[in-house]
Amino acid sequence: MLKYILKKLLVMVLTLWIIITLTFVLMVSVPGSPFNSEGNSNEIVQQNLEKHYNLDKPLHVQYLLYLKSVATLDFGPSIKQPNQTVNDLLGRGFPISAELGFITIIVAVISGIILGILAALRHNGIIDYMAMGIAVLGISIPNFILATLLIQNLAVNWEIFPVATWKSPMHMVLPVFALATGPMAIIARLTRSTMLEVLTQDYIKMARAKGLTPWKIIVKHALRNALMPVITIMGTLLAGIMTGSFVIEQIFAIPGMGKYFVESINHRDFPVIMGTTVFYSAFLIVMLFLVDIAYGILDPRIKVTKKEGE
Amino acid sequence: MKKLLFLLIAALTVFFLAACTANEDAGKDPEEKEKVEEPAETGDTTDDETTMDEKVLRLNNSTEPSSLDPSIGFDAVSWDPLNNLMEGLTRLDKDHQAAEGVAEDWNITEDGLTYTFTLREDAKWSNGDPVVAADFEFAWKYMLNPETASAAAFLGYFIEGAEAYNSGEGSVDDVKVTAVDEKTLEVVLAQPTGFFLDVLTNPAFFPINHKVAEANPDWHTEAETYVGNGPFKLESWSHDEEMVFVKNEHYWDAATVKLDKVHFAMVNDSNTQYQMFEAGDLDTAGIPPELSDQLIEGDNVFIGPYGGLEFFRFNLEMEPFQNKKIRQAFSYAVNRDDIAQFVVKNGVEPAYGFINPGYTSPTGEDFRDVNGDLVGFDPDKAKQLLEEGMAEEGYDELPPITLSYNTSDTNKAVAEALHGMFNEHLGVEVTLENQEWNVFSEAQKALELQFSRSSFINDYNDPVNFLESFITDSYMNRTGFSSAEYDELIQKGKSATNEEERWQALYDAEKLLADEMIAIPIRYYNTVVLEADGIEGILRHPVGYFDLKYADKK
Repeated sequence: MLKYILKKLLVMVLTLWIIITLTFVLMVSVPGSPFNSEGNSNEIVQQNLEKHYNLDKPLHVQYLLYLKSVATLDFGPSIKQPNQTVNDLLGRGFPISAELGFITIIVAVISGIILGILAALRHNGIIDYMAMGIAVLGISIPNFILATLLIQNLAVNWEIFPVATWKSPMHMVLPVFALATGPMAIIARLTRSTMLEVLTQDYIKMARAKGLTPWKIIVKHALRNALMPVITIMGTLLAGIMTGSFVIEQIFAIPGMGKYFVESINHRDFPVIMGTTVFYSAFLIVMLFLVDIAYGILDPRIKVTKKEGE
Repeated sequence: MKKLLFLLIAALTVFFLAACTANEDAGKDPEEKEKVEEPAETGDTTDDETTMDEKVLRLNNSTEPSSLDPSIGFDAVSWDPLNNLMEGLTRLDKDHQAAEGVAEDWNITEDGLTYTFTLREDAKWSNGDPVVAADFEFAWKYMLNPETASAAAFLGYFIEGAEAYNSGEGSVDDVKVTAVDEKTLEVVLAQPTGFFLDVLTNPAFFPINHKVAEANPDWHTEAETYVGNGPFKLESWSHDEEMVFVKNEHYWDAATVKLDKVHFAMVNDSNTQYQMFEAGDLDTAGIPPELSDQLIEGDNVFIGPYGGLEFFRFNLEMEPFQNKKIRQAFSYAVNRDDIAQFVVKNGVEPAYGFINPGYTSPTGEDFRDVNGDLVGFDPDKAKQLLEEGMAEEGYDELPPITLSYNTSDTNKAVAEALHGMFNEHLGVEVTLENQEWNVFSEAQKALELQFSRSSFINDYNDPVNFLESFITDSYMNRTGFSSAEYDELIQKGKSATNEEERWQALYDAEKLLADEMIAIPIRYYNTVVLEADGIEGILRHPVGYFDLKYADKK
């Protein structure tokens, strides 16, 4: 197991290096500079700015500087907000995005699995149609439309929840709802289809024949296998949602890190692009690694350590 | 293994359920708490309670200011807060003219080169220090230091020695800003500049408390260390979330300031900020583009001019726009009224000249009124000019034309309208092309675009600010235009000591620009704001930033 983990770690570092290099190449090959604001300027000012942010140095020097910043985990100041370092931005934004993401995932997983099981158990019944109807709506309504509808009805018209910002648990309800609906729908559909498949398997019949209660059959025998595909998508889902949803955070004015991903690219804010990319990649890689481990625990057929020996 | 699995699933389920219920509780909690606490705290200061006695204005800054260091923050999101946290030597008054700020008096020598400012005795920083001349000298030299890399530094080039220092060739000692004594500042300009007092209202010229800045270079990054000298001071600043200003009791004119507090939210979504306004969380808001038709006529809408122009640049180095008549033909084919009224909407004014209304001449007239309409809509003349131009160049057919704009819904709508007008009135089919802002901007600078959209926002309150862009080899030129006559007019428009002479040069310069038709003016910018009932006195200057000094909430 230890050998496996070490090997995995090595691959992770290598992957990260490839991502950093690719990001750098893409970043410098896109036309534009961080100092193209719509405001007025002149050459001297532009030169001073380029010098200040080391953008006048040859590309290989810039590349080495970036590698150094990754190695020391110090990405320097943002160009768009020069008083803030990239670490400040991530340190402030990530906990908020993670909080929003974590609550969202929990809500999505629980409601998704429950919907999926109900639908599978009452296959082709009213509950099935209703659950899948909700799921189809959840997948097909983009979350920014749902968010606007929620705000207009629940916040502006009925005044139940605050419109936006991130201050109290009440402020979290609408964004979590808007953000969780999509993943919930995906999880519900996945759970339903695998449950249906599992429920026809011989070992379930066997369990029924043994006279086990339906509850025991579902929880102990069926759900375990039905959850495998859900676990598979959990890694990417977690990384994606916990590192910030640009649209939802913008609509609800949540000071998470979603906007840095998108806006840093528009602004050509190189240190922030690098910082967010490295952060996100590392997070995603770790999540995928955890999913691998979880497979091994949940499914005895997959033996992570034995594979190594083969 | 089976048992382990069962345990794991059981644990997970319990955890999920616990988390779920905890979440639901959490959702209810504040509601209950509010209900319980409100009556208990009536005597104290709950948020709602304070609103009754205190005057709290709730605004939206849309995003985090780039920087509250006056030398660095060079955009609207920084200027709006800065203009209320600090004050320069001069401050724009209710008529948008430069009036006394920290300086109570000044003396300008006959040659228009040396300015001697006398600072107010009672001008103080928010920490109680007196505002001294050395604070200005420190701030301006800091802004001009090439290592500071201030985007605003070029505004300081009016000062003798500033350009050399900023470009790394000169020394800081040759920058002619001198604190003669505690309350006297002497500035020597590179050449006479009739609008220098207007330039000084820009936040780039705000003072910095040099004692504070020398002790802590990062003084401007957090509310705790922030020291300003304006009508308000920074009470709290949670980055990317909210800034809270309170009235600054040390401000020399504190008696005029009516508001107790100002909240700046940072909501960067046009629908959300409007919905917050609807729900009463904001006192002012912008109008979302989709709702413009419904809301623009309302009583609570403030519409004011904003110093800026949307225009389309010709590239004089690309065919067929080397020909003046062809350029003029395109301009005459544009129906600006229609674009303003039906395409851009939101109450904007069509532009029949380059300089927006709002600049008062030495004789008290508006620049725009004096120079009148310089461009117009005349399809017949357009056709005729196009034919003449094509004959001059020997074209049987016009070379293909591509109209470029940076990606945005409004820009697209304007470009499509232009496409239709050129087609209808000139019989020319232009190709439309949109690019992401940065890509577009680089291409425009490199003169790679044939015919492209542009916008200009004023930095200071004088027509020369815009007109200067088109002098030969200016960084802002981006058309390939070069005219010795124009350069000379602008030189005069910047440095003539006789104000009337200076303005005459500017009138002539604008006429020349319109006659050469190196860019098609389309419309002027404006400020459109929804204001809640009882909000009064927010000064929205056509150039740049708003002033809350006189604002009130009834």
